[in-house]
Amino acid sequence: MAETLLLQAGVMFAAVAAVGVLADRAGVSPIPLYIVAGIAVNEYVAGGAGLPYVHESEFVAVGAELGIVFLLLFLGLEFDLGRLVRERSSLLRAGVADFAVNFAVGLALGWALFGSLRAGVLVAGIVYISSSAVITKTLLDLGWIANPESGPVLGTLVFEDLVIAVYLAVVSAVVLGGGTLAEAAPTVGVAVGFLAVLGVLVAVGEPALARLLDTNSAEYFVLRVVGLTVLVAGAALAVGVSEAVAAFFVGTALGTTEFAHVVEERLTPVKDTFAAVFFFWIGLLTDPAAVVGVLDVLAVAVAVSAPAKVVSGYYGGQAYGLTDRRSLRVGLALVTRGEFSLIIAAAATAAAGTTIPVALANDVYAFAVGYVLVMSVLGTVLMQYSGAVERYLPATG
Amino acid sequence: MTVYETDIPGVGRKFEMDIGGGERVVVVVHHDRRCEVFRRPDPDADSEKLLDLSSDQANKLGSILEGAYFESVDVGSLTVPLGDAIIEWWEVEDGSSFAGRTLAEMNVRAETGVSVIAVQRGDETIANPDPEFEVADGDLLVTVGTRAEQNALEELLG
Repeated sequence: MAETLLLQAGVMFAAVAAVGVLADRAGVSPIPLYIVAGIAVNEYVAGGAGLPYVHESEFVAVGAELGIVFLLLFLGLEFDLGRLVRERSSLLRAGVADFAVNFAVGLALGWALFGSLRAGVLVAGIVYISSSAVITKTLLDLGWIANPESGPVLGTLVFEDLVIAVYLAVVSAVVLGGGTLAEAAPTVGVAVGFLAVLGVLVAVGEPALARLLDTNSAEYFVLRVVGLTVLVAGAALAVGVSEAVAAFFVGTALGTTEFAHVVEERLTPVKDTFAAVFFFWIGLLTDPAAVVGVLDVLAVAVAVSAPAKVVSGYYGGQAYGLTDRRSLRVGLALVTRGEFSLIIAAAATAAAGTTIPVALANDVYAFAVGYVLVMSVLGTVLMQYSGAVERYLPATG
Repeated sequence: MTVYETDIPGVGRKFEMDIGGGERVVVVVHHDRRCEVFRRPDPDADSEKLLDLSSDQANKLGSILEGAYFESVDVGSLTVPLGDAIIEWWEVEDGSSFAGRTLAEMNVRAETGVSVIAVQRGDETIANPDPEFEVADGDLLVTVGTRAEQNALEELLG
């Protein structure tokens, strides 16, 4: 078994590396391609064609879990509280508008399309959260990073990061934890308690953390960060708290130390490796037939939620005092959805058959994968060809 | 002259500086010290990328812009050919037998064959020092002579 497991892991890493080469050549984000690579070698596609396929072994599943943990660790690490405080007046307007419009649109879509409030709450998160990773990379690639529109885009992403941390904590406890609020109360209690303890540790633990990380050896440094992060995330999951939120807390704690940049520098390869495994795993679980099955739902969601982001982003740009053209670009930039929508989808699958009927969980999952594939490509394309969209703006001298 | 500094999560820091007439220079410094330099001609225009520099290139360019960059020359290895003779620079190091004695006392010309054509002391240069010139620690002797004569002086300086 071990030899076939190693071969399967080899196929997985080779597949993500190969599509990475393609992404590099074509100048597109590799994230959708990692998912496609997972789909191509899974039991539905490769297996359906009678070829050997990659199983969802425990190794891949845990690797994907680590991908989630490291993605959220970095989110916490790069969480820019200073920006929130400095730009609070404009950022609050932009962030609240972004949340109010898109979360509401997502909630309505999910509720209407899947006929369940629980699915609505999940779809709300999937539709609301833009992709920090893809958007930041595209801003750099297009040179928008040096333009005023980068301010509201990055600010809105920071605001979303904060909201999504709270959202994941609440959703994993309430929506996925128990049936009714009363049943969920103990779970929520434990979760709140755990996060409160973690919060206190973050607040007062900086000296201890700094001592822990104070080593000249890159090897020991990486092992200590990985050990701390995975242990806390694992403990969180064991007591029924979202491992993603716990990792986010660890990230913010590390971000307060003087070693924040060192963590970023040395752990980035680890994060990128496991994040690729996570996207691949998402594809591995995806039955293309299921995605085709929710195609009508998907079409409606894309048609409604893409313009919603453009509108709320445009308003965010206006809140920052930008011109019409630049405000429109803020909206276009925020269309891209990615890693966090998939993390929410993964949380939904984990609850399949307990709080959510299996069929519904599968539908929401298939929807999320299709949605991210469409929106990550659409968002990037909209940014690249923003000039064509900008032409439709009323001329403003 | 205001410099605007902002954080770019996951990337690094961004610095913006107005350079008059609405024109702006934007520098993105990545965590790996890579630098991208953009120019925005006016507030309504798009930024154009001018440079993409590795950290070494960025450091070098920075020091040129600061006026702090020059190729320092190791004076010990600098020679100027004059037919057979060459000009050499010799530092009178701490504790050298030369320090505190005049050129006449040292009898440099007769002992080695080189002529001391100038002495550099700090910022000033004493050209054609007379035989009664007293040498001090840290002086640079500028001498002219053949390679063999220069080697003899090197031995004398010890």
